[in-house]
Amino acid sequence: MKKQGLWSLRLSTAALVLIPTAVGINYIGKLFAGLLKLPLWLDSIGTVLASILAGPIVGALSGAINNVIYGLTADPISFIYGITSLAIGLAAGILFYKGWISSWSKAIVAGLMIGLVAAIISTPLNIGFWGGQTGNVWGDALYATVLANTHATWLASFLDEIVVDLPDKLIVVLISFGIFKGLPKNVVQLYNTNNKVENLD
Amino acid sequence: MRSISLYTERNTVIHAMDPISKLFYILFALLIPIILPSIKVSIVCVVLGLIFLLVARVFKKTIPVFSFVFLILLTVIIIQGLFRPGNQTTLFHFGPFTLYKEGLMFAFGVAFRVINIVSAFMILILTTKPSDLVESLVRKGLSSKIGYVIISVFQIIPEMMSSMETITDAQRSRGMETEGNLQTRMKAFLPLLGPVILGSLANTKERAMALEVRGFNSKGPKTYLLEEKKYRYSKVVQWGILLGIACALAWRILV
Amino acid sequence: MKKIIVENLKYKYPLSEKLALNNVSFEIEQGEFIGVIGRNLSGKSTLCQAMVGLVPHFYKGAYGGKVIIDGLEVRNYSIADISLKVGIVFQNPFTQITGSKMTVYEEIAFGLENLGISRAEMINRIDFALNLLKIAPFKERSPFDLSGGQMQRMAIASIIAMKPEIIVLDEPTSQLDPEGSEEVFRAIQDLSKQGITVILAEHKMEKMAEFCNRILLLDDGKVVDFDVPEKVFSRDDLGEHGVNAPVYTRVCKALNKKKAGTNDYPVTLEEAVRVLGGMGL
Repeated sequence: MKKQGLWSLRLSTAALVLIPTAVGINYIGKLFAGLLKLPLWLDSIGTVLASILAGPIVGALSGAINNVIYGLTADPISFIYGITSLAIGLAAGILFYKGWISSWSKAIVAGLMIGLVAAIISTPLNIGFWGGQTGNVWGDALYATVLANTHATWLASFLDEIVVDLPDKLIVVLISFGIFKGLPKNVVQLYNTNNKVENLD
Repeated sequence: MRSISLYTERNTVIHAMDPISKLFYILFALLIPIILPSIKVSIVCVVLGLIFLLVARVFKKTIPVFSFVFLILLTVIIIQGLFRPGNQTTLFHFGPFTLYKEGLMFAFGVAFRVINIVSAFMILILTTKPSDLVESLVRKGLSSKIGYVIISVFQIIPEMMSSMETITDAQRSRGMETEGNLQTRMKAFLPLLGPVILGSLANTKERAMALEVRGFNSKGPKTYLLEEKKYRYSKVVQWGILLGIACALAWRILV
Repeated sequence: MKKIIVENLKYKYPLSEKLALNNVSFEIEQGEFIGVIGRNLSGKSTLCQAMVGLVPHFYKGAYGGKVIIDGLEVRNYSIADISLKVGIVFQNPFTQITGSKMTVYEEIAFGLENLGISRAEMINRIDFALNLLKIAPFKERSPFDLSGGQMQRMAIASIIAMKPEIIVLDEPTSQLDPEGSEEVFRAIQDLSKQGITVILAEHKMEKMAEFCNRILLLDDGKVVDFDVPEKVFSRDDLGEHGVNAPVYTRVCKALNKKKAGTNDYPVTLEEAVRVLGGMGL
């Protein structure tokens, strides 16, 4: 089986239909975190799965559309963080393509890297929008402490974001990798757009 | 079927407006405070947004969103008022803490900007059917496939939620504990996650095939069953908004 | 006139070692009602999907031989092109709903919009399909707000509105309750009366015997038999191919009562009554 081109823009119907499903999985993850009263979001499992299965473009689209939908249905502020979700999809897709999500130990590193990417993208958004906070209680407490002691808004804001993003994305990537490993081969192969029909004549 | 959209049906001028015009207004609300960063301008924008929400008779619907936003803004005001770098002018002391004017003014700036942007989005969200928004965008050139994807999420999520609920109920009726400490709750819900996700991924194959055989990848131009909605004054409103932004820019440069 | 010609069709799914279809050849005339039977994984679904081009275009994999539908060689045309000639209905009524339309009426329009049919023509075709499938009373309902049988009839209507000359139905009643199945079978008979060529894969042999002009028996990806129902169901080796004959045939077989002047057993209730009538039943 030939590996799919990384930046293939030729989206198969299966890959397109994967996007709403990915958004649905994100919703379920969020619901799940809420039910368990976890201090995490777990709302990007679908995005990461879409990236793994169908590449960075589909992953990025899943992330962006996820936030558009969330913005239309629950929380308008989520539109602004669509950029972060898009970056998570891109990062996960590229890391998987480069073989960085191929074992549990590698998935841990990949999870942390994706968390870092999310934090780097979100920090300027937090500064521009909220003046640096995230709205997460623990993160904002850290923000206040760092700000009081160092007077460095950017540092405080970055730490505010990363203290939630690192563990969150780590767990998201591990869950996604676990699900991916449990998928039947014929489902996995469905999203590959570069296969050609072989000739049996 | 349950709806997850916030759209609220009313018969008002705002509801009858072109979704694209509402997008223009969001652009306006985002740009004006950046172009003219004075608190007076922000206040005018906020008042404008609130008037539109009142005219659309959806103000009540904004309360849950605004109360969440206000909660965060309150922490912004406290944290910036106390700790913002560059704080100098003391307003008052309480205990070991000092509240400063600079931080407070900055926080109010943030608050008005946030309320302004949130109001602009709320006007769009509360007064526009998602399907109308997507249809307008597709007619304006958004890929109809992306349009399909967005609209289908609105139907697929409730479907996935209800299958999740069916399984949760089944687990409960089998005596599975779904309340209690983290470990009990983990044990209850973790096994649910797998089947729902796997099932929904397997469904994508069948749905994709069903779309394919209904011409989803057809190359020719598409037609529409529903006639294009005619919105009045769209051009005037949209050009008006652009003119407003241009005036703000001119003001910024010249004055 | 030959509507469908299948010649030495071979197909292997990606990542699979085994041929799902192995040298399948047959021909179907316009207006025929063809039944496809065989055990699970015998190749029924693969064959159905090869008729509309999902095999090989959707799955890729390895393909050999030819499927010619009304003069078009499936391999050389896109699924969208083929969908103008032949439509398909699947097992699960839920996953066939596009999920992008608010009402049954709009749902049926989906394929027509994609094909670029004019509005006036669209409305004509949708009304025709709604009436033929007897779902006009539900046309303003949400597509998800239907019973299984109604949903499946909506799926058929969505295909019929595209005016294919051939319709393929892959176990359309396997996920329905008896009442829903009955509705769908009646609908399929109505389609056949309209002159549409029907290919139906199904496990309910009594229905197959009643409706079909000819039956294609598949096993292990190969054609075992392709003949009138009396011939296929009278075979002694049916069990070896994982298929049960209709209950009427089995009763008559047990009693060794053949149709007068033939070597075949009855396959429908009517025929069985006629043959067994002399026994005072």
